[in-house]
Amino acid sequence: MKIDKKKLLIWLGLIAALLAAIVLTGHPAGHHESIQQAMRDAVLHDTNRISFFGLAVDPALISAMTVSVLLLLFAAVIRVFFVPRFQLVPGKFQLFLEQIVGMFANMAKTNSPHRHRFLGLYLFSAGAYIFVGTLFELFGLQAITTAGHPITLPAPLSDINAAIAMGCLSYLVILSGGISGAGLHGVGNTLKEFSLPISMSFRLFGALLSGLLVTELVYYYMQLSFLLPVLVGVLFTLLHALVQSYVLTMLTALFYGEVSEPSEKQRAARSDQKAQAA
Amino acid sequence: MPLNIDFQQILLHLLNFVILAGGLYFLLYRPVKSFMDKREAYYQSLDREAREKSAQAEQMRADIQARLDALDEEIRQKKNEAQQDLRRSIQAQLDESHRQAEQILADAQAAAQTEHDKMLLSVRQELAGLAAETAEKMLHQAEGDLYDQFLNMAEGGTAHEQP
Repeated sequence: MKIDKKKLLIWLGLIAALLAAIVLTGHPAGHHESIQQAMRDAVLHDTNRISFFGLAVDPALISAMTVSVLLLLFAAVIRVFFVPRFQLVPGKFQLFLEQIVGMFANMAKTNSPHRHRFLGLYLFSAGAYIFVGTLFELFGLQAITTAGHPITLPAPLSDINAAIAMGCLSYLVILSGGISGAGLHGVGNTLKEFSLPISMSFRLFGALLSGLLVTELVYYYMQLSFLLPVLVGVLFTLLHALVQSYVLTMLTALFYGEVSEPSEKQRAARSDQKAQAA
Repeated sequence: MPLNIDFQQILLHLLNFVILAGGLYFLLYRPVKSFMDKREAYYQSLDREAREKSAQAEQMRADIQARLDALDEEIRQKKNEAQQDLRRSIQAQLDESHRQAEQILADAQAAAQTEHDKMLLSVRQELAGLAAETAEKMLHQAEGDLYDQFLNMAEGGTAHEQP
């Protein structure tokens, strides 16, 4: 027991010494903007912009592209090295991949039984994009702004433009389902939900922005950068990455299934056509 | 625009997502889904084959059972026929035996009768012979006696005439 206490004291002392050294060697003047400016920029993205082939873009767009590249590289590696070795009785990694693909395919099939192939693909892509994009803020990748300041790349969907793009695209997917599944009836059903793109966009934006603001606040003050990020950074980010992926995909699947459901007349006509063909 | 909404940025995000969705579809979603569908189809075909084989086996079992039942019926009929044939054969043999026995009995009776007649005839002949022999013997004896008697009488007659 004495040895254990001694080791514990050494460990705690080492931590305290390191903390003190970090605080004493820190640069209080390292911030190029106040907390108010940082928060405002986190919401509006109007100050810090990044040059992308001569075009000044939001940092979130660079984040989105980085996420896309990472995902596509991951998918390419799987396609080349793992898919050809798939077995009838799956191993752990194959089972993991099948679970993810199967989860979104089943979500599409369950919510829209009459038309779900394209929906499954969209849900899979959107789910993967939102999940990895939300976790992206944990990596803390840096970029240089057009003003020459380094900034940490945020989660793509914490930018309102990305959230609007995602919300509107989901609405367009729902509309396409309505047109292909139920024709004018489906279009009418989709247009009735005219608030859907706004609610979807701002739900994503609000959820991701709140996480970003809390993270920004915590990391702004160095004294809060110990232990606390484990909770607010990792656990909360993981949780709301899961929740936001699930919410957007589930809502899209629900509305898609609702608007693409053929009317009674169309069902009767289709069954007649099938009967005639048979 | 309020909240720094920028249509160009929105379109760039859309472009980024469309590229991502297409890439994920060709690289990950379609191959994995295709593999899962093929495996499902494979196991469904196995299941279907197993069901068909099970149905065939059931049909075969029913056929065999029907054939066994038919064979049992046939065996029962054959057994009945065999028993009837056996009964007829036994009856025929019995009849033949009776007939042969009667024939033997009749032959025996005829032979016995013939023998009896022969014996009777022989006995008669023998008796006739014996009778003739006896008669002859008696005759010879009688002749002797008669001769003696004659002689005696002859001797006695002379005596009677002299008185």
